Amino acid sequence: MAEPYLRVENLVKRFGPFTALGGVDLEVFPGEVHCLLGDNGAGKSTLIKTLAGVHQPTEGKIYIEGKPVTFRSPRDASAAGIGTVYQDLALNPLMSVTRNFFMGRELTGPLGSLRMNEMNQIAHDEMLKIGIDFSDPTQAVGTMSGGQRQTLAIARAIYFGAKVLILDEPTSALGQRQQMGVLKTVKRVRARGDIAIIFITHNEIHSRLVGDRYTFLALGKSIGAGTAAEIGDKEMRRLMSGGAEMGDLKAELDAI
Amino acid sequence: MADLNEANRLQQETALQKLLRRPEIGSFVVMIIIIVALAIASDGKAFNPLGLKNNIAIIAQYGIIATGAAVLMIAGEFDLSIGSMIGFAGMSMAMMLKWGLPFGLGEATPAAAFFITLAMTLGIGWVIGMIVVRSGLSSFIVTLAFLFFLRGVTEVCFRLINQSTQISGLQDFKLESWFADIMGGEVFGWFYDFWFALGGNLNRNGEQWVHGFDARFFWWIVIVCVAYFVLSRTQIGNWIYATGDNKEAARANGVPVDKVKVGLFMFTAFCATMFAACQVYDTNTSDAAKGNLMELFAIAIAVVGGTLMTGGFGSVLGVVFGAITVGLVANAVFFIPAIDGAWFRVFLGGILLAAVFANERIRKRITGGI
Repeated sequence: MAEPYLRVENLVKRFGPFTALGGVDLEVFPGEVHCLLGDNGAGKSTLIKTLAGVHQPTEGKIYIEGKPVTFRSPRDASAAGIGTVYQDLALNPLMSVTRNFFMGRELTGPLGSLRMNEMNQIAHDEMLKIGIDFSDPTQAVGTMSGGQRQTLAIARAIYFGAKVLILDEPTSALGQRQQMGVLKTVKRVRARGDIAIIFITHNEIHSRLVGDRYTFLALGKSIGAGTAAEIGDKEMRRLMSGGAEMGDLKAELDAI
Repeated sequence: MADLNEANRLQQETALQKLLRRPEIGSFVVMIIIIVALAIASDGKAFNPLGLKNNIAIIAQYGIIATGAAVLMIAGEFDLSIGSMIGFAGMSMAMMLKWGLPFGLGEATPAAAFFITLAMTLGIGWVIGMIVVRSGLSSFIVTLAFLFFLRGVTEVCFRLINQSTQISGLQDFKLESWFADIMGGEVFGWFYDFWFALGGNLNRNGEQWVHGFDARFFWWIVIVCVAYFVLSRTQIGNWIYATGDNKEAARANGVPVDKVKVGLFMFTAFCATMFAACQVYDTNTSDAAKGNLMELFAIAIAVVGGTLMTGGFGSVLGVVFGAITVGLVANAVFFIPAIDGAWFRVFLGGILLAAVFANERIRKRITGGI
């Protein structure tokens, strides 16, 4: 079996007395979509923020291609090939697609001048690779749909060297059609074969549609993990609801 | 493919429609109306050789500080200390020219007076910027504090050292110092020479009447060109827009947001110092009240020129049109004696309000009505 690009071992994160993550293991492989599922407060956000270098782990180790790494800042994580696409996408609506694509990492010529034509071309090509044909990369991001913005943020992360792409609930707050657009994008990135995707979601159906591997979190612990073949629909539903059986939940509600 | 269709839903526009959507278009139209109206109402006097020179003098003055204010506003901050900075810089230069360099270092040349002053004003701009980015306080309040602080310091220095709040009767430094001449002398003499050669530009004795524009016209053009180039064509320009649009998004992408802001507070301080230098070396006088209210004119012109109050959007070219419009109206009373000069402020208030509404519409159009 191939080596995981990113491996997390017994990751613990405490904020004072509060244990946000109580020993989580995770393996993500290139060319695979690893779905991270769990209820609100399960520790999904803490886990990805730790992977993105925003938080430092209290205990446990992170390995990239088998070598242990420590991230002191988001910059470290980004340099190690971890690209995080947050829910707010870090886009500026008043600026053009190209200016957003290269924000903070512009291509410059003499006197710090922008190589605008080249940047327009790259932004256009990179977005086309994952499924959006933008005729005019000079249009403002504010005119784009939510799904298109998501694609822009993903294309940007990949272009700037992401080997692990962390997508933080990319399908929430989108309409049905746009959700499909994002899932298609995820599939296209997966098809490249060299990028590992961590897909965070609430949505069982979405994770079923694109996932190769699953990890379920509840109260800061992993309550189940496995490949798509190993986890059946029924097991998935049980894990989604935090490990409880549907019958138990029904009994709980009926008791009121 | 669904995504492709969606991308193309944005209406394809003709060149004319694109032109009409430019942020400068409103201020451009208003400017043209004002130019034509003033030419008719003043019977052409506003644009005769002397009228043109005087109009451009005030337009350039406004333009210099409005450019600084606009670029800072695009990055999402205000500077209310511009006017007091003008007073402070003018005081500092005139004081050195009259009383010599500080700490008894001897006579001050115009260049020395300027560069020592510039070092101080850039330093103050840096301090203002650092306070704003470190504390996270609104720049409105921080620079309001410096509005009072600097004006007070200016007056106190005048009284302590000079015993009077104005300096006049300095020698005309332009005659000996090339530096004073490029700040306060005349430029573009060829324009008036050419006009004279064509048979115009004559005084009552039939000699050449006006010989050149005030030097500040040249400095305004320099500042506008640099600001335009930096904003629209460079990496720093992209950082400025990104900082003003959504600071957190910019920061997450590695834009040095704080450095951009501090740099721009220093830029407004630079513009204020240029304003003061042109004034001091032109008239060889200074006064503790110089630059009063100029910060508000600068912000008003920036807004009239299409700069968004909320940052992230604006155009240097629009600010040029705004400065021309406001400068012409401010000066109109000299060419049309029948009108009361206070109408200028009535006009400015009205056009400012109209501009804010227009800018808000533009913003909504760009962001899809959010």
